[in-house]
Amino acid sequence: MSLISLNNLSKTYPLGSQKIAAVQGLTLEIQAGEFAVLAGPSGSGKTTVLNIVGALDTPTEGSVNVDGNDYSEMNPKELADFRLRRIGFIFQSYNLIPVLTAAENAEFTLMLQGMSTLKRRKIISGIFGELGIEGLEDRRPNDLSGGQQQRVAIARAIAPQPAVVLADEPTANLDSSTAEDLLQLMRRLNQEKGTTFLFSSHDPLVIAHAERVISLRDGRLESDIQQEAG
Amino acid sequence: MTMLLRLASRNLWRNRRRTLLTLSAMVVSLALLTLSLGVFSGMLVDILSSTTEQYHGHLVINASGYLDDRDMYKNFTADPELLQALQQDKAVRGVSERLRGFGLVSHAESSYPAELLGIRPEHEKSVTKLHTQLIAGIFPTDTDSAGAVLGSSLAQKLGVSPGDELIFVTQAADGSIGNDLLTVRAIFRTGHTGHDNGLVLVPQQWLQEVMALKGKVHEVALAVEDPLLAAEDAKRLATLLPAGLIATDWGELMPEMREAIASFDVSRFIFVIILYFATGLGILNTIFMSVMERSREFGILMALGLRPRQIRLIVLLESLLLGMLGTILGLVVGLLLSSYMSLVGFDLSAWITPVSYAGGTIQPRLRAIFELRNFIDPAYMLLLVSLLAGFLPARRAAKLQPVAAIRED
Ligand SMILES: Nc1ncnc2c1ncn2[C@@H]1O[C@H](COP(=O)(O)OP(=O)(O)O)[C@@H](O)[C@H]1O
Ligand SMILES: [Mg+2]
Repeated sequence: MSLISLNNLSKTYPLGSQKIAAVQGLTLEIQAGEFAVLAGPSGSGKTTVLNIVGALDTPTEGSVNVDGNDYSEMNPKELADFRLRRIGFIFQSYNLIPVLTAAENAEFTLMLQGMSTLKRRKIISGIFGELGIEGLEDRRPNDLSGGQQQRVAIARAIAPQPAVVLADEPTANLDSSTAEDLLQLMRRLNQEKGTTFLFSSHDPLVIAHAERVISLRDGRLESDIQQEAG
Repeated sequence: MTMLLRLASRNLWRNRRRTLLTLSAMVVSLALLTLSLGVFSGMLVDILSSTTEQYHGHLVINASGYLDDRDMYKNFTADPELLQALQQDKAVRGVSERLRGFGLVSHAESSYPAELLGIRPEHEKSVTKLHTQLIAGIFPTDTDSAGAVLGSSLAQKLGVSPGDELIFVTQAADGSIGNDLLTVRAIFRTGHTGHDNGLVLVPQQWLQEVMALKGKVHEVALAVEDPLLAAEDAKRLATLLPAGLIATDWGELMPEMREAIASFDVSRFIFVIILYFATGLGILNTIFMSVMERSREFGILMALGLRPRQIRLIVLLESLLLGMLGTILGLVVGLLLSSYMSLVGFDLSAWITPVSYAGGTIQPRLRAIFELRNFIDPAYMLLLVSLLAGFLPARRAAKLQPVAAIRED
């Protein structure tokens, strides 16, 4: 069974008396270990799809199954718990919690899961090492560069060993060389740890790094291509 | 939970200036509240003691019916064993047996009606404080056989000062007209018009002879440890009394005073509510603003897996922490202000004279007294107000839709 399966997914937003179809009849399977990008111009429905896969938003029609869980059968509490343990989010504008240090941000979900301090410290220092941000543990987000903040966000996303990391335009706010580094880092985590990544972008340079390019246009699937990751 | 507490406490200091402003509003209202309640209490204690400690005592024992008409025949023998038993009660601080007579006091050409209290000076000193309110002369001792202490207005009307002689004329118990000479020893001023105008303290034995009531008294006045418990004390002491004698506390003697004190409890409550309403709105505003500014952040927290109740908890913790901080600081400042007002006080006698109220006298001074309730009530209510003020914003935060909150820019 696929890690993620979207079946005939639609999402419409009411806008005054009209309805905006953000996603229309999307059917998609993503396997564990993939490194896939949702590509498409602004407004094509990328964020909407990621939010639905991440159980933050509910589809108007169609079904979502992630890691063997059918979202339509889960209550809000179960969905929150699922997000906590099985989904890693990376947002465009980093979105670290400003009052927490880098390490506290990264271990946030582990702490909420009730993991012991010792175990947390070990995991976080391992991840900080892998991501090349060791030594920044006690800094607040405001004292970090954009690239550093996004690495902390990656650390936060992968710390609970989620089924999938969802990253919505993760490099949009970074200069191209920092973006390049970050993508290579995500790719390395994907290859070395087998972490599944589903990210979105409209930047050809970013899209070129993916193994699979799922193109959306006006909320519909335009193409779905396997490629040699660059 | 530790994480939520950490988040809440750090968030509190995100907008330092706003938090400090709200905090100072809380501190000022709590401190002023405890101070003014302390001064209020001080005033009440002043009023209460003005009558109990100048005249009535905290409770009195009389023959039943005496208080209705002060009939001189409703007297009883001051049994030394009874006085001893009363004195030994744990709450009783002082015991003074008294004979009362009404008549005319004269000096030279003028005479005025007066109430004479036949007392034993050493006993009376343990119940009332008239001996500390002298403006002339020296309070007589137990060996003084015909020395009188009278109110300042009466002394002025009669034109007497210590050393002068007075004649007292009254109806005696045997139907004859009793009269005898007194020597003015001292003059008191209480601020209570009635007492200053017509009260005269005289030796008990002297009055018993004039009134032909040898060995008799009309009442035993008592001072107790806590005047506010006098009613309970009266009930307990009643069991010691022989048939025909009853104990009456100041609340029954002066119902208007009891009501004044009871209404203070109500006013205190209203006062607290009004002041805290404003403070509560300030807290509400602060927490609301900080929640609105952070809606995106709450969205992120929910995306990370925080449940709405945990979001609500963070906001409630913030307002509770703010409340606790405000309460602690407010209590400290309030304690300092109250200590100053209780140790030093504020003398207003240069501007206002004593005022009679509810059968007592309000002294022209501001003085705080320490009453635990004056600190506890405002403190826990401030905590309650902070929690309440956090409630609405907390609900608002918990209801945020993560997707909308995150998209918001
Ligand atoms: N909350 C919303 N209310 C109304 N329309 C929305 C809302 N969210 C997204 N949309 C619309 O849905 C479409 C897809 O948006 P989105 O998923 O954000 O696209 P992308 O991430 O590819 O830019 C857009 O037309 C957008 O305006
Ligand atoms: Mg988008």
